[in-house]
Amino acid sequence: MLKLKTFVSVSICLAFFVCSFSGCGKNKNEQPKADVVIWHWMTDRQDAFEKLAATYLEETGVRVLFETYAPTDVYKSKISAAATANLLPDVFNPISDKKEVASYINAGYIADLSEDMEKDGWKDIFFAKALTQNTFEPGNEWNVKPGIYAVPLDVNSLMIYYNKDLFTQAGLDPENPPKTWSEFIEAGKKLRAANIQPFVSGFGEGWLIGAFAQSYQWNLFGKEGVLETIEGKIPYTDKRWIKIFKLFEEMKNAKLFASGVVTMVNKDAERSFATGKAAMAFNGSWGVNVYLSMNPTLNYSVMAPPSLPEAQFPMLMFGGEGSSLFINEKSPNKQKAIDFLKWLTQGPQQTFLAQATLNIPSNKTVADDLSPVLKIFSENIANTFESLPKIESWQVNNFININLQSVIIGERTPEEAAKEVQGEKERQQKAAK
Amino acid sequence: MNFFKFQKRLKSGVTHIALGAVAITCLFPVFWMISSSLKTQDLIFSKMTLLPEVWNWSNYVTAFVKADFGAYFLNSVFYTVVGVFFIIFISSLAAYAFARLEFPGKNILFYLLIATLLIPIPGVFVPLYLLLKSLGLIDTRLGLLLCYISNGLAFAIFLLKGFFDDLPREVEEAALIDGCSRFGIYWRIAVPLAKPAIATLVIMNSLTIWNEFLLALVILQDKAKMPIQRGLMVFQGTFITDYPLLMAGLTIATIPIVIVYLMMQKHIVKGIAAGALKG
Amino acid sequence: MKITPIEKTQNFCFIIPALVLFLIFSLYPILRTFQLSFFQWNGIDKDMLWVGFAQYKHILFNNPAFWKSMLNAGYITILALTLQNGLALLLALLVNKNIKGENIYRTIFFLPPVLSGVVVGLIWKFVYDGNFGILNYWLTSLGFTNFADFAWLSEIKTALSSVAVVHMWKGFGYGFIILLAGLQTIPVDLYEAAEVDGADAWQQFKNITFPLLIPIITIVMILTILGSMQVFDLIYSMTRGGPAGHTHVPITKIYEYMSNGEFGYSTAMAVIFGIVLLVVSFAQIYLSKKFNYDR
Repeated sequence: MLKLKTFVSVSICLAFFVCSFSGCGKNKNEQPKADVVIWHWMTDRQDAFEKLAATYLEETGVRVLFETYAPTDVYKSKISAAATANLLPDVFNPISDKKEVASYINAGYIADLSEDMEKDGWKDIFFAKALTQNTFEPGNEWNVKPGIYAVPLDVNSLMIYYNKDLFTQAGLDPENPPKTWSEFIEAGKKLRAANIQPFVSGFGEGWLIGAFAQSYQWNLFGKEGVLETIEGKIPYTDKRWIKIFKLFEEMKNAKLFASGVVTMVNKDAERSFATGKAAMAFNGSWGVNVYLSMNPTLNYSVMAPPSLPEAQFPMLMFGGEGSSLFINEKSPNKQKAIDFLKWLTQGPQQTFLAQATLNIPSNKTVADDLSPVLKIFSENIANTFESLPKIESWQVNNFININLQSVIIGERTPEEAAKEVQGEKERQQKAAK
Repeated sequence: MNFFKFQKRLKSGVTHIALGAVAITCLFPVFWMISSSLKTQDLIFSKMTLLPEVWNWSNYVTAFVKADFGAYFLNSVFYTVVGVFFIIFISSLAAYAFARLEFPGKNILFYLLIATLLIPIPGVFVPLYLLLKSLGLIDTRLGLLLCYISNGLAFAIFLLKGFFDDLPREVEEAALIDGCSRFGIYWRIAVPLAKPAIATLVIMNSLTIWNEFLLALVILQDKAKMPIQRGLMVFQGTFITDYPLLMAGLTIATIPIVIVYLMMQKHIVKGIAAGALKG
Repeated sequence: MKITPIEKTQNFCFIIPALVLFLIFSLYPILRTFQLSFFQWNGIDKDMLWVGFAQYKHILFNNPAFWKSMLNAGYITILALTLQNGLALLLALLVNKNIKGENIYRTIFFLPPVLSGVVVGLIWKFVYDGNFGILNYWLTSLGFTNFADFAWLSEIKTALSSVAVVHMWKGFGYGFIILLAGLQTIPVDLYEAAEVDGADAWQQFKNITFPLLIPIITIVMILTILGSMQVFDLIYSMTRGGPAGHTHVPITKIYEYMSNGEFGYSTAMAVIFGIVLLVVSFAQIYLSKKFNYDR
């Protein structure tokens, strides 16, 4: 029995030790450390954010705290756990599609900013496309009260980067990149003949391969057609969709793809382009900063995805708001948070952010003093996808991405791939009922 | 005689070649990690050399400062030491009971324990978070530690039970007749005999807790309580990954675990357990 | 020996700390999550929609991709059970033999499990890279020129096996130290006696080492099953389940559904997956027990 006593006393001692170290009870200083707490996921912008917060403290006396958490999945987990426990910070981003954002809004976690956006013409300083993804339109399928729900910090779009030196090396004109699809394929063949990998992208990440395909969906179908496809009125076996799958097959047959493109994540693709191992890269405007960090002497420019001769609609690209901030509806510091974000989107701060992170500011008035490549991107913001009151279910999008990969590796023909997608579409429609 | 000597040499030569080949594949990534940690971001991928052209030792200082390792290091040590201690202590008690003692509900409890090892629930942190909130343990070291400890229990109990099952009963029965209490037997006979298993568990649980970051990031808010993995995030940006600094940071973060392993593997060395058995 | 109620209570004291922690911090959250599998819920909505077994039914009959991922994990597991554990046992036996540099080997073999997934993913992607990879460089210099442009991780035929190789490489160290720890508990005098009787190395292994190691081998086997069936980090960092879903495993599938806001559905998947693992593991325990008694 004596042994048991020693055991008990030892464990009590240890428990005491733990408690004293971990401060079992409540924190001594209950007052908050900051007036506005912002959770962000871009750790690479921490320094720039902190500098801005310091300036703001000096100007207004309001203390803003930026906490950044990476990678994005972890950040997302933190947000969703905090949401269920009602412990969200003053400013955050749920990082999800419109459907999920709608859930946050309907559950009362996100504030409607429409009124503030109207005041002093705040909303007019932004690129129009910067607000589309944060705007819920009347009659949206999730019954969200129409309005603007987030403040965009920057904008981006996806285009094709090309390496001028490698173009020259293959006998192509670096000032005259391919404009049509057939020119694009021909250029690719020439690059391949010169022993250069023609095209790379993070097609292992579903959304990138999907974004490339969607450009052609807008090109071939137009807004009405895209919407009708989502509504199920146009099947994925439509010959225009088969054509989209065929584009990937054509690229594969002409040996345009860099080796391993179907499992490549974008960071690897960026590395490949930055080190001159591939001549073209489908990537977003953030690439400018990435390429600079990996290879400051890289000589490149950008072009739009080549358009199709038979297309009747404009070629649009994936893009719009780059990172936006949502304000916690339940936060006691709501007004302070709004004021800060308003300040953050004004000219001087936007210029600072744009220069520190080499991005396109969401404030269109300062978009003039950008580098030449970023300038092309910023002009291209007008050509990004339009906002729709409905979105395709993620399962169907997922099937599209997987089947595009499948076509690239030669597992399925375009017709089979289209049929697979349509099959999933029908399953989802049935499940929805 | 000479022939036998030759045969023996040959045998050990073959053994060393086999072991060496495996060892090289294990060493290469470490070598690569360290070599990369001394390069610069613009050259690390454009010039894929085995050794850096210029040895940037300053990367280590930069990484240490930028990741704020100084602040996080003690936290990680605390979580690991306390967490591992309680995992081992609590689980060895329970494992001994499962292996040797009779009590009601023994089998059901054991299978329940094993079942939780088997079912991976990715979203489990949400109810866990709500639970900690209702216990007032959000953003506390205790809350995080309790999660770590309970996470490690099932596996530790399972492993230790296997070892305890295996120990010869005779020694214990003799001790029981000598008037030793059950706890005394556990403490003086079973635990020392299971030293290799316990050392193994110390290594594995240290590794798990040291590398864990999802729970820590979700449960904790205050930077002052965060573990070392929080520091490593700085280098893996959404867009830019600073590879040399990341590798330097990873090297720094790996060293303590290697030390734990070196310290613990002494106890897995031949002779200790066997010696105890003999004595 | 009869056991008195007092003794029973005393015995119960041994497991109380474990039991309390386990019930509160492991079982309760898991049961709460289980409950979700009967609801359609995205983690955010205020109302959860009760759907009963509908999600289970959908997984069982309408989600072939999930079952395909199960087969993929099964493939990796079978490879790991045989090759990885075979290697771990062999190395543990060799290192246990008092050879020169035993300490060094023992340290080195545990490096892969210690290394961060980031490093491992990066390195192996370089090894497998179609154009610039070390593997293809070696193969082409050995004369296998048709591998010049072969992207190991992106071809249907090789993607899964390539990932499995990395998984086994990263995992054998665990089996190695557990088996080594197990070998240490075998009394030396047994071997001494056997040597006196003139038993050779193989007979010693067959008659002493292996039988005494069976409980430990069972543990290692079960850990391998669990570790390999639940493989996630490596796959996520190397292929993200691609090409075209050919390296998806259950956890990446569950994760995919969860990150798309399908909390309820993904927990239903986790439950089904857990049941499969439960059956496999208990079958494994049962078989090894039977094997052990039969001897």
